[in-house]
Amino acid sequence: MRWVDLKESLSDFWFEFRREKTGIAGLALLIFWIVVAVSAPYVTEPNIPDKWKTIWIENPKVVPPTWSSIFSGVSEAPHEVIYPEELQKYVQSTTRGLIIDIPYNMKYDVPPQDIVLMNISGKADGRLRPSLTLKIVRPDGKEITLLSGVKIKGTTTIQVARDSGVRKTVINWVKGETGIQLDPSKELQLVTSIDTMRVLFAQISPDMLEYPKALQGEYHIVFEIKTPGNTSVDLSNAKLILPGRTYGYLGTDDKGRDLFAGIVWGSRVSLTIGVATAVLTVLVGIFYGVAAAYFGGWTDEIMMRFQEFMASIPTLPILILLGTYFGGHIQLWQIVLLLTVFGWVGVARVARSMAYQIKEQTYVEAAIALGAGSGRIIFKHMMPQLLPYAFAQMALSVPGAVLAEASLSFLGLGDPTQVTWGQILHDAQNANAAVNGYWWWVIPPGLAIALVAFTFVLLGTALDRILNPRLRRL
Amino acid sequence: MGLGKYLLIRAINALIVLSIVVLVVSALFVKVAEKELESRIQEIVNAEYQSLVQQNRAPSDPEAWKMERIKYYRHLYKLDQPYHIRVLYYAKRTITLDFGNTRIPIFGTERNVKAIISLALPRTILLFTTAQIIVIILGLLLGVKAAQKVGSLFDRALSVLALVTTSIPMWWFGMIMLLIFAFKLGWFPSNSMPNPNLTGLDHVLDVARRLVLPITTIVFVLFGGWAWVTRNIMISTLQEDFIMVARAKGVPERKVIYGHGLRAAAPPIVTMTIFSLLGSLGGAIITESVFNWPGMGRVYWIAIETQEINLVMGLTFISVVLYLAGVIIADISYGFLDPRVRVGASAKM
Repeated sequence: MRWVDLKESLSDFWFEFRREKTGIAGLALLIFWIVVAVSAPYVTEPNIPDKWKTIWIENPKVVPPTWSSIFSGVSEAPHEVIYPEELQKYVQSTTRGLIIDIPYNMKYDVPPQDIVLMNISGKADGRLRPSLTLKIVRPDGKEITLLSGVKIKGTTTIQVARDSGVRKTVINWVKGETGIQLDPSKELQLVTSIDTMRVLFAQISPDMLEYPKALQGEYHIVFEIKTPGNTSVDLSNAKLILPGRTYGYLGTDDKGRDLFAGIVWGSRVSLTIGVATAVLTVLVGIFYGVAAAYFGGWTDEIMMRFQEFMASIPTLPILILLGTYFGGHIQLWQIVLLLTVFGWVGVARVARSMAYQIKEQTYVEAAIALGAGSGRIIFKHMMPQLLPYAFAQMALSVPGAVLAEASLSFLGLGDPTQVTWGQILHDAQNANAAVNGYWWWVIPPGLAIALVAFTFVLLGTALDRILNPRLRRL
Repeated sequence: MGLGKYLLIRAINALIVLSIVVLVVSALFVKVAEKELESRIQEIVNAEYQSLVQQNRAPSDPEAWKMERIKYYRHLYKLDQPYHIRVLYYAKRTITLDFGNTRIPIFGTERNVKAIISLALPRTILLFTTAQIIVIILGLLLGVKAAQKVGSLFDRALSVLALVTTSIPMWWFGMIMLLIFAFKLGWFPSNSMPNPNLTGLDHVLDVARRLVLPITTIVFVLFGGWAWVTRNIMISTLQEDFIMVARAKGVPERKVIYGHGLRAAAPPIVTMTIFSLLGSLGGAIITESVFNWPGMGRVYWIAIETQEINLVMGLTFISVVLYLAGVIIADISYGFLDPRVRVGASAKM
């Protein structure tokens, strides 16, 4: 084929394609996905697949996206981090050590989940160690000491809300302020169940333990660090985190992972698996079908029996079994290979029936008469005739591959080195996300899968209409 | 060629395919189960030893005794035989419908594989076949309607809906349905296991309530594709000459569509129907798992997770048999419905 011809047929094709509205929509979506996949490291962070395996300590766990408060009408504290440089501004030196006094403007209905001071490292000399005291000064003038005399050795991280000692302190403080009496079993239950931060940031009232109502205003989070003797503390890496009740564009999961990052990165796997599998599957299928039709007779009969055999194997159970066989996880290239091995069957059947018609054409007979080899006839004369069908078929078989990979990952058999939408949904199912109403963990990944599949369905049906003229009148 | 001879050839063919599938599947499963069996034998022998010690009947030479017992169990489970013998042994047993028992009871107390399958299959039929029938009826009606008014708003809306719904993973949609209707609104139970305390009419109503969400899920995801295919087939049929003749003769439009058009379009539709109905018998592994529906798919998943070779073999065998039966039935009905068509082997003879 000459370059000019190719250019002309391409521009012909484009001329027809432009008139297919679904095709244009599909193309736009495809470009969108390619942009998302390529820009993943820049939009989020470059090391997400590695980071995904760890627990993201700094993030709040299972919180909805920031925009969800628009619908609920309750304003919830967003995620806030005070980085080391900024933290230095609040540090004052005293004769006995340091005081970090951080003002916090609480203007929400629900306060943050926790107060976390990360990476504060102390240098000790001999038996003396630096120690830390944490106080909260409330807008109503009350002051609570949550922690006192916590020894700092090495690099320490201080987390307040999960500490049962802090909970007891808070309950005692409430008892002192309101004068309520609690029976011991009730108190025991409260120690394990109360939301420390909500009570801490609540208006003082007798029922503030059960129904805390937020007290808005300026709070001060005060850390007093004593450095006796020759000890010292290093705050150059320290940062203060106020884990939010909401996070980012798409919230977080139970390990604090940013679901937005996961979904952006998942597009890479979906597109790669989908396109690679579709191309391989269709090429193998067409080659198989054409070969069967070309050789005919017994070869055809045997090849079709094999095709029937492959078609009658229940695919998903075998894939699951092979997954366990490969040690519980199937790597990406193995998934592509397996989906191809089980996927070419349908294409082969159609390609064979189409190839039978092509075989009868005079130019094929002429080529045979001229003594052309089988390979030449199959690759040079017959397969190109099936290309239009092949292109449409490729686009149409992408959704199947995308769904299959998602299904395998959903069953926990996916590639552990990658972030995929199926795995996110698998984790969601394991954490009973549906039961607990974590909609932001279930809906976006599934929508993403459906949208990628939809993209290729649109492209495929449009291509089918243009490239396979018998369908043109539909 | 006579129908009898054709049937015979098809049946022999199917049997050959079936035995190869069984061989391959048993080869895979024997390999996977090997390690598991070895460690289980170790456990059994240790447990036996412990109970003997407790009864003060500990053998004088524990090591030799253990070796003896391990050898006994290895023989019992045929682990002392070479690999290919074990594969053949499993394959032969499966083909003669002797599926054996599972180690751990499934569905409460049942350990016999045949009994488990006969418990699970009706449940899957109840769910998937019911849903599939609704899908087919709904798809056919909507598809024919769309084909009648090609390019209308209804046609376009249906096409878009079809393309959207076929892109949705069924199990994900199931999760969403559970999220909304079971947990947020609380209209339907989230667990599909029927309440064992209810009998009679109460039991039927209980099961019906549990069916609503899964059936809605399946129907919603599948009906669009059906409508779309029916529409496409019907459009090309309605452009044929005999339809034009019928219309010219003044045959009522209803009769033209349903009497002439749909009848001529029947062969591919019937094939699709047979395959979807048969496909529905296997259940959908993940969908049944999401809804915790105790059918074939759920059992399949449990069997693979707990490495119950016998159960997996039985389930695979049944689904392959059903598939092959479907192929034969579809081929025959194709020939009956459309005399112009002779499919497969019959075309060449």
